Amino acid sequence: MADDDYEIEEYVEEPLDPEPDEGAEIEEDNNNEDGPDPIMAEEDEKQEEAQVDRQANRKTSKYMTKYERARILGTRALQISMNAPVMVELDGETDPLEIAMKELTERKIPFTIRRYLPDGSYEDWGVDELIVEDSWKRQVGGD
Amino acid sequence: MKGGQPEPALQFTKQLYIEDVGPRKIESIQFSTFGESDILKAAEVEVFKGGYYESKEKPWANGLLDNHMGPQNKTGTCLTCGGGFQDCPGHYGYLVLALPVYNVGYLSTVLDILKCICKQCSRVLLGEELRINFLKRMRNPKMEPLRKSELQKMIVKKCTALASSRKAAKCAKCGYVNGMVKRNTKMPGIVHERLKVNASLKDECSLAVPNKSNFSIPDEMDPKLVHSLLKNMLDEDCELLYLNDRPEKLMVTSILVPPTAIRPSVFVDGGTQSNENDISERLKRIIQANASLVQEISDKDFPSKGLESWILLQVEVAQYINSEVRVSLPIEQPTKPLSGFVQRLKGKQGRFRGNLSGKRVEFTGRTVISPDPNLKITEVAIPILMARILTFPERVSRHNIEKLRKCVRNGPNKYPGAKLIKKPDGTEISLMFSRKNVEADDLKCGYIVHRHLEDGDVVLFNRQPSLHRMSIMCHQARIMPWRTLRFNESVCNPYNADFDGDEMNMHVPQTVEARTEALLLMGVQNNLCTPKNGEILVASTQDFLTSSFLITRKDTFYDRATFSLICSYMGDGMDQVDLPTPALVKPVELWTGKQLFSILLRPYDRMRVYLNLTVTEKSYIKPKETMCPNDGYVCFRNSELISGQLGKATLGNGNKDGLYSVLLRDYSPHGASVCMNRLAKLSARWIGNHGFSIGIDDVQPPAPLILAKDEKIRIGYKDCDDLIQQFNKGHLELQPGHDAALTLEAKITGVLNDIREHAAKECMKGLQWRNSPLIMSQCGSKGSPINISQMVACVGQQSVGGRRAPNGFIDRSLPHFPRKSKIPQAKGFVANSFYSGLTATEFFFHTMGGREGLVDTAVKTADTGYMSRRLMKALEDLSIHYDNTVRNASSCIVQFVYGDDGMDPAQMEEKTGQPLNFDRLLMNVKATCNAGDMKSLSPSEICKMTDERLSEHDMTPEGGCSVAFRDSLAKFLKDKCVTCLKNTIEDLKSDADQNGGNNQDHLQNISLNISGITAQQLEVFLRVCISRYHNKRIEAGTAIGAIGAQSIGEPGTQMTLKTFHFAGVASMNVTLGVPRIKEIINAANKISTPIISAKLKDEYSAKDASMAKARIEKTLLGQVAKSIKIVMSGRQASIVISLDMEIIRASRLSIDAYKVKESILRTPRIKLKEQHVRVRSPRKLEVVPQADKSKLHFELHAFKNKLPAVVVSGINTVERVVIKKDEKKEGLKEVSKYHLFAEGTGLLEVMGTEGVNGCETRSNHVMEVKRVLGIEAARTSIIDEIRHTMSSHGMTIDIRHMMLLADLMTFKGEVLGITRFGVQKMKDSVLTLASFEKTSDHLFNASVSGRVDKIEGVSECIIMGIPMLAGTGMIKIRQRVEEVKLNYGLDPILT
Repeated sequence: MADDDYEIEEYVEEPLDPEPDEGAEIEEDNNNEDGPDPIMAEEDEKQEEAQVDRQANRKTSKYMTKYERARILGTRALQISMNAPVMVELDGETDPLEIAMKELTERKIPFTIRRYLPDGSYEDWGVDELIVEDSWKRQVGGD
Repeated sequence: MKGGQPEPALQFTKQLYIEDVGPRKIESIQFSTFGESDILKAAEVEVFKGGYYESKEKPWANGLLDNHMGPQNKTGTCLTCGGGFQDCPGHYGYLVLALPVYNVGYLSTVLDILKCICKQCSRVLLGEELRINFLKRMRNPKMEPLRKSELQKMIVKKCTALASSRKAAKCAKCGYVNGMVKRNTKMPGIVHERLKVNASLKDECSLAVPNKSNFSIPDEMDPKLVHSLLKNMLDEDCELLYLNDRPEKLMVTSILVPPTAIRPSVFVDGGTQSNENDISERLKRIIQANASLVQEISDKDFPSKGLESWILLQVEVAQYINSEVRVSLPIEQPTKPLSGFVQRLKGKQGRFRGNLSGKRVEFTGRTVISPDPNLKITEVAIPILMARILTFPERVSRHNIEKLRKCVRNGPNKYPGAKLIKKPDGTEISLMFSRKNVEADDLKCGYIVHRHLEDGDVVLFNRQPSLHRMSIMCHQARIMPWRTLRFNESVCNPYNADFDGDEMNMHVPQTVEARTEALLLMGVQNNLCTPKNGEILVASTQDFLTSSFLITRKDTFYDRATFSLICSYMGDGMDQVDLPTPALVKPVELWTGKQLFSILLRPYDRMRVYLNLTVTEKSYIKPKETMCPNDGYVCFRNSELISGQLGKATLGNGNKDGLYSVLLRDYSPHGASVCMNRLAKLSARWIGNHGFSIGIDDVQPPAPLILAKDEKIRIGYKDCDDLIQQFNKGHLELQPGHDAALTLEAKITGVLNDIREHAAKECMKGLQWRNSPLIMSQCGSKGSPINISQMVACVGQQSVGGRRAPNGFIDRSLPHFPRKSKIPQAKGFVANSFYSGLTATEFFFHTMGGREGLVDTAVKTADTGYMSRRLMKALEDLSIHYDNTVRNASSCIVQFVYGDDGMDPAQMEEKTGQPLNFDRLLMNVKATCNAGDMKSLSPSEICKMTDERLSEHDMTPEGGCSVAFRDSLAKFLKDKCVTCLKNTIEDLKSDADQNGGNNQDHLQNISLNISGITAQQLEVFLRVCISRYHNKRIEAGTAIGAIGAQSIGEPGTQMTLKTFHFAGVASMNVTLGVPRIKEIINAANKISTPIISAKLKDEYSAKDASMAKARIEKTLLGQVAKSIKIVMSGRQASIVISLDMEIIRASRLSIDAYKVKESILRTPRIKLKEQHVRVRSPRKLEVVPQADKSKLHFELHAFKNKLPAVVVSGINTVERVVIKKDEKKEGLKEVSKYHLFAEGTGLLEVMGTEGVNGCETRSNHVMEVKRVLGIEAARTSIIDEIRHTMSSHGMTIDIRHMMLLADLMTFKGEVLGITRFGVQKMKDSVLTLASFEKTSDHLFNASVSGRVDKIEGVSECIIMGIPMLAGTGMIKIRQRVEEVKLNYGLDPILT
């Protein structure tokens, strides 16, 4: 019975546990999107305005699709496998794909996604602007 | 279809500078005709010698294998470009024909042209005004090619109408008389029939040959004449006829001889003889025919001989292009027909389907598969032998240099080795022969080492037939000894694999990008669910289910040592496990088997997996819930198994609320897969110790079972005998719509099936609980009660074609039985069990049933395979675009939002395809967020909170949420929280009132505890629902068309092919199964069982129903006439019809003689006029046919035979109407509702019938619905019909797939079938169509009209080897380069 008591205590403390990622992430990302990019902030006013304007006018989903994710990780893993400088601190990973995934979770992949709309126009989204589904985290390494 | 042509290789002393523009991409392909001048431009050498080799290995100059067209073999060089066998691309030669001949591929085009033009002045036959009008329309730049070719067809039709076989068309320009133009049926050629129409010509001929009355002039149009006619055509007229190029190019005047590279000559017998390609052989025959034609022409007495050689040449050229051309000439056919160009392209093995759409690949392996529960579900064991052959090119970097050095040292033959080193400069070093150690030391960053496959490498794993996308999935390699590919049994399901000798294929992606995409998109973990309906597909099977079932028995207890041991089974003894509190503490600590599952889900305390679910297993008995005597109510609460014996419903595949599905949805795919791994290991090891086997004693029936079965069979036989006797006496009460024999059959079948079912029930009851087959059947791992009863008790009735065994002999099934015997034994009832052994006749009947099953599977694979292929071709290019529309390759919108709500079918959690299962979620939230001290909300507070949350931005349509979802969420909360709470309060109050006054506060608290919800719980619930909903939206780029095609095609293979009939109402049969699906998707105009179901205006009135039935049903005069007699009196002879008013009244028809008269006059076959039919009285009329006396008698009899078939009332096309009676309880009393089913067509008439509710009347005939109600109704009808067919076979398919199919079939405004005709109208691309069916026709037509194929669709991209514009190919990735700031140093000197 001691076990049960312990568990119930834990639930009271952290009631939102079962779904901690979903809600939290959305909020966090909303913040990200509203605020201008740190890099953009350094640039002059006009460009920033244009940037904000452009961002406001974008109408495609703010979630990264699994295809975009696969493509980005693939391209980035290829770069890393060809000895491109890695943008994150590594702790022992050697597999290019694993490194690329780590970069993506830390939003450090220096890519822009160009999403083409059916009329031929496109929207540019930085990898750091998009919400990445978290359930993909542990793909390669097992547990 | 002539693409790029090789430029004549100019020789320059200095290499020209060509700017490198990087790799080029094919943007589009234009198809055009290849004329004589093009041929001369492209060719290097004239070919006129019909021989191959002058001497050994030396080809003839100007022969078919001239070295100007490319070198012969590896030793030779090309005389044109000087290149060797490897470098020379090959060059063309040319061959001039003495006289022009038809190109057989263009023959129909030429015919169409000739139909339209004057056969003298080459102008179009149309009138000037019409011509200009058509030309204007044809020149419209906005017109699609499809419309243009339709217009062209219309013009041809107009022109053909001008000149028919009787009529002559005089050319408006030159006055020449044109006859009808026809294709020559005997050989490739065109016939111009002028003789019949041209009177003057006829006269002229008869004048010229006076003594011959029956003459014929050759009306064959010779190709030379046609050629000159085409040459004379004006460009304007060409445009009108949708010809892109000069029409004379449609005739063959010279032939382009293809390079030797595409028709290799192979030496056999050590170089003494050569085997020539079919094309070379054909060319040789053309050259020979041409030569003899040349001789004939040059011969002095040329005309007398006729032009036999010309005809021969024509035939040869035609067969060179298409060897299947029908020729009636007695040409000696070679033993094996030589194939032409068309044969090279078409068919399954042809260039398009065999080489362009599907290519052979390297880095693959195939061998037998076997199971290994110790592997993870994401892994596949690859034998070392294979791993030594398959390689992956890994680029050397500082991370892997040491590993790769080791590989290089090991070389190609020792396992973790390497085969090849590639240096950055392009040189390749094979490690087979070189000094490995030196190469290993020389290894530098940037080199590429083709190393052996190692653990963790990404491979694709596939089993044919690849019916859906889960048939090819990505696994991670585990290199293991021995010789089979092994994987976890949990993954058998998606591949549909077993281990009875199946082989599977494996592919190794060769680039990092390919590996990544494979792993992320095709990985097993990411494909646990099928997109067909969102059910889980990768799940525990067979032994895993059995052992889980046995472990979770109520009476399993383990002491500390055993329990710990079993815990360590789950993860190789390396995982952390926190032992829970034992279920029994005294006298010894004992743990239950159910606690093992708690550990399996949540091994240690800090792992935060809290699973909540309730499932009812097969054995569950309502409504006892956790107190179910069979322990069939599985309940997990916060990852603890509270009750229930786990079986297939919880752990198996094909469900949406089992354990793995819930883990997958609430946690992650990874969580689900880890649990599957744990269970696989646990159960494999546990059952190995426990032991589970089947022996002869398992199928030995206990004595009471034998008695019960014998008794049941005896009773059944007696029943059958009684029925047969009743039948023989004619006392059998008929079933509606059946005759006596059918009724007897149906009743006997019912009795016999009852025997078997009863036996099965007895088996399940009578067998002892340890019986292995019984356990397997109970937990759902293998076998059904029927299977057990067949082994133990009684095999049961054998059926052939859905009936009892047919009579193979005269009036009996086998000669062992008396004639016309209908007893069970004589018609295939097997009373014995497999254990007791079958008698000879039983055995024979059993083989009949078995054979039918085999034949059925053999036939249906081919049938459904073709259906799948057609579906795939039609839907392959539909994908979701970034604006959430579903479009095809040419950006034409098929759906504005996918499936009306834009949800991903693979992620739907609710059984009917709704996104979320609110009930389960609420339960989960309530369990995980313990209420604790927090107060529950009052109903009004709940409403307020819900409304607030639901009015936020992300719940609006602009925020990406469908109104339907918001409403369903609001409704759920209202029903389940507000109303439920209120009800509880009410109930308690009334209870309290009865038991005397109690404290109100307590009551309030109790009710809140029972069904209340705290603010926190509600908030979490809402947030989870909404965020999860948003994550379930379908992602842009998804190739939803392909998924839909597979989702509809794959279940087809599981359906029985036979026209599956169901007796819904009084033997009203409806085609189901594959034939019905085929009918629907073919958009067939004639379907086998059209049925209209009509609701009545007054559904409760039986009288109305029968009246409406009478109005609809076809009634013949013969049915309502008392007599139809021939009456001959002195004055006149007539037929007198007297109506049977009693029958008419009884069947509620409104027919009298006047109406009958009208009907007779209306009937088309009976040509009677008003005055011939006379009405004598309302029930009598006479028909007086007018004919001369000699024929009158026959006339009368003819009418007497015809008249009974006159339709006097009802709808002609409706065969039969059946009233269906539904008895339903409404309130307290029983009411019966009536509606009608009408067999046949005539929806419009039925809808308009008095008493029928037209708004609720529907037909299962899609095309008729389209005609009567329009395209949107047809779309709904397609969806409903497919869904109905699928569901009647017990298959659930997400409705979104069917919507997509229906939308594709209707988006052009007409119902297009998924056949070659329909697909042709849906697709713009020539290559897609060519790779589907009728390859050569599409290519020839495309070249005539100069079609452009913008490589956009899936098929074209595959053919061209370009990434397609869906999924990962839809976006572009750009490197973000940060701007370099040069803020150091001095300013530049010059500014």
